Amino acid sequence: MRPFLLLLFAAAALGACGSDSSSTGAASGATSDADGPLVIYSGRKDVLVGPLVERFERETGIDVEVKYGTDAALLATVAEEGASSPADVFWANTEGALVAAAPRLMALPDSLTSRPAAFAADSGRWVPITTRFRVLAIAPSRIDTSALPASVMGLPGVAALRSRIGWTPTYSSFQDFISAMRATEGEPATVAWLDGMKALQPRAYESNAPMLEALEAGEIDVALTNHYYVLRLLEGGEEGEVESEEEEAAERAAEEAAEAHGDAEDRPDVAMHHFAAGDVGNLALVTGAGVFTASRRPTAAMRFLAFLLSPEAQAFAAEEVHEYPVVRGTALPGYMMPFDRAVALGPDLDASALSSLDETLALLRGRDLL
Amino acid sequence: MRGVPAALRRAGPARWLAVPVGLVVAGVAVPLVYLVLRAAEADPAALATLVWRPRTLRLAGHTAGLAAAVVAVATLVAAPLAWLAARAETPRFPRAFRRFVTAAGVLPLALPGYVMATALLGATGPRGLLAGWPGVVLPRPAGFWGALAVLTLSTFPYLFLNLRSALAGLDPVSEDAARSLGLGRWAVARRVVVPQLRPAWLAGALLVALHVVGDFGVVSLVRFETFSGAIYVQYTASYDRVYAAALALMLLALTVAILAAEARLLGAARFARGEAARRPERIRLGWGALPAVTFAAAVAVAAVGVPLATLVFWLGRGPVDGPRVFVALANSVSAAAPAALVATLLAVPVAVVGVRRPGGMGRRTARAVERVAYLGYATPPLALALAVVAFAVRAAPFAYQTLGLLVAAYVVHFLAEAVGPVRSALLQAPPAAEWAARSLGRSPLGAFRGATLPQLRGGLATSAAFVFLSVLKELPITLLLAPLGFTSLAAGVWSAAGEALYATAAPYALVIVVVAGALVALLLGRDR
Repeated sequence: MRPFLLLLFAAAALGACGSDSSSTGAASGATSDADGPLVIYSGRKDVLVGPLVERFERETGIDVEVKYGTDAALLATVAEEGASSPADVFWANTEGALVAAAPRLMALPDSLTSRPAAFAADSGRWVPITTRFRVLAIAPSRIDTSALPASVMGLPGVAALRSRIGWTPTYSSFQDFISAMRATEGEPATVAWLDGMKALQPRAYESNAPMLEALEAGEIDVALTNHYYVLRLLEGGEEGEVESEEEEAAERAAEEAAEAHGDAEDRPDVAMHHFAAGDVGNLALVTGAGVFTASRRPTAAMRFLAFLLSPEAQAFAAEEVHEYPVVRGTALPGYMMPFDRAVALGPDLDASALSSLDETLALLRGRDLL
Repeated sequence: MRGVPAALRRAGPARWLAVPVGLVVAGVAVPLVYLVLRAAEADPAALATLVWRPRTLRLAGHTAGLAAAVVAVATLVAAPLAWLAARAETPRFPRAFRRFVTAAGVLPLALPGYVMATALLGATGPRGLLAGWPGVVLPRPAGFWGALAVLTLSTFPYLFLNLRSALAGLDPVSEDAARSLGLGRWAVARRVVVPQLRPAWLAGALLVALHVVGDFGVVSLVRFETFSGAIYVQYTASYDRVYAAALALMLLALTVAILAAEARLLGAARFARGEAARRPERIRLGWGALPAVTFAAAVAVAAVGVPLATLVFWLGRGPVDGPRVFVALANSVSAAAPAALVATLLAVPVAVVGVRRPGGMGRRTARAVERVAYLGYATPPLALALAVVAFAVRAAPFAYQTLGLLVAAYVVHFLAEAVGPVRSALLQAPPAAEWAARSLGRSPLGAFRGATLPQLRGGLATSAAFVFLSVLKELPITLLLAPLGFTSLAAGVWSAAGEALYATAAPYALVIVVVAGALVALLLGRDR
């Protein structure tokens, strides 16, 4: 046991040395900000955040530290931290989280809030950064799209989908979708939809990634999800080959040709289905960021928000994680539909529709889904 | 306490025990107080409608049923393996056989449950990796049976290790006596060996049960609703800390019930070896070696082989960011090593109080003190982390977002894993030598250090390894309490796998498995 314990001691000592040397020097960008790094609480994952933060640090010389977590866990943390919270920026994965956080966020200047072409926040306390769209993911080999309803509201009527539907009732983007449904279709129709869906015995997944895998594995035939999960399966995520642009373009052309001939040997048996224009099933889901009122580095924080809305960062989000930019004129990969068309597909929605999360949760609990 | 010299009984509770045990109790109390305060914020009527609904009953049924089933099946897997490892011998390659069986029994500990579940999901089904073999389409693990399979494979080593060391440590004198009184081999096993294994089995079963009750990663991946899954959803998908706190308190109530059951079953068990105990003799397996090896191999393939192959396959699909993985490894180790040390050091006084009841402490009190550690284990990790945030920001702002606070939170959460092995070792250590040392004028601490501690070595090493491995795999506490810029292996897996970027997640998962596996091998190399 001696060598074993010694090893542990050595490792502990090493760790103690290592942890002291972190993050001391602060290169502030000629502002009145407090010393120390800019602290971001990020509900978004490292895949997108990591590279963008690195670019920002390189360009501005401002040190950044990121705390990752889920939106809700980070919000709960900020609530427990109170006024002594070290957080400067909240970069959230869902509009619901931003609305919930708004009382703790500071009002943003017009120079920031006027940048995005759509989805501006009522409160003016956060800015949209990217947007995603709800879609129905399908397995084309097993599903005839002509048999699918024009509206997501008609889904419970498709008896052939009994026990073949995947959904994520406990997941935030699904809950936002239900909030939107309550706003556009009304409470009774939403309840009827939930009950109709439950009668079809859908399979509930914890999150979208495993659900899409289950779709690929043949466990289900359709899945209510977000567009980028499908694109990630089809076009790959940031991982894998680093390709030159020509290679990429050539590959894409080949893929498109293959798709046109309805032949997709190597490609996953997964495709996107959009409902009719204006349907709540095509809902836009916004991600965004804001600056905490307790921030001691507001200038650097605002610079970071401006950076996220820069053409460079906007294009990066589109290419790397297949999300739609919110600043008009950003170049999009060829396999994504034009921004204006995607926005036009979505329902006409009051900006505050997604702020009624509590009522949605109560509704889902009442239907025994949560 | 029977047989304790009267002078020692009057000595009163030792001070060296009171301080660390007090620390433990205080540490566990922080999250409990927090949860009660949060739950008390709720509007009672609204909370009542949330709590008293059919779903609550269903969650309770699912949770308790799954825990019982996993303990039962894990026992069926662990007990034969433990017996083979400790008491059997093959005519050829006896050493290799013992090593192989032991590896099959311990190595699954190196795989975090959520990694095992993700990898098994990727390997099974019509489009899974295993479907490449003609005719083999394994069902994807799902629902109750899926949760049962994955959780059994990832937790049975806790039972295996406890049972193996108990089997190896039993004084064969009573078995010999039973044999000489005319009992057959099976009768001896049933009437002499099994009853003596009860404390070890209970210690292992308790860890397995609490692990299942507290798991949210596996159950959510295989889509089975339990309390912990629901609590996790509450904290992550909605902004309702109050309802989550109420659910967490219900979960703790369930844990108290499990602890009470365990305490009842344990009774007054104590099985000290004689001073000159022999090692038990091994039974020679003839043709029986074949099914034995097959069984061990099947367990190893399902619990380690298939998940590992899936990870390696994913690894091959993308580039590896070596430096980042290395930093994550260094960070993980820098938190896991001190947590393992501190938890093991604190586990000793807690176990001593529970087993030896110094100063004539009542059995119920002693056991309650010992079981306090298990409440920390049962507190949902997100609730624990939020409690520590709330506590640190008010009471110790200088400590907030430091490695020290993170380690303290780990210790509170994982102390129970350290108490079990120390307790089992203590139960087998005869106290007479310590009394002798006391009567020769050694201080209570000195006598313990000189006479008893050396006998606990095996238990201490197992304790430290358990905690180290658990910290390596832990996620929610790490995310919320780690110093800024701290990355960990588990967080690397989580961040990439949550976005279905399995090639990016694979190196982090593999490093966890390799480091944990190496540690386990070290542990195995240590004892004969």
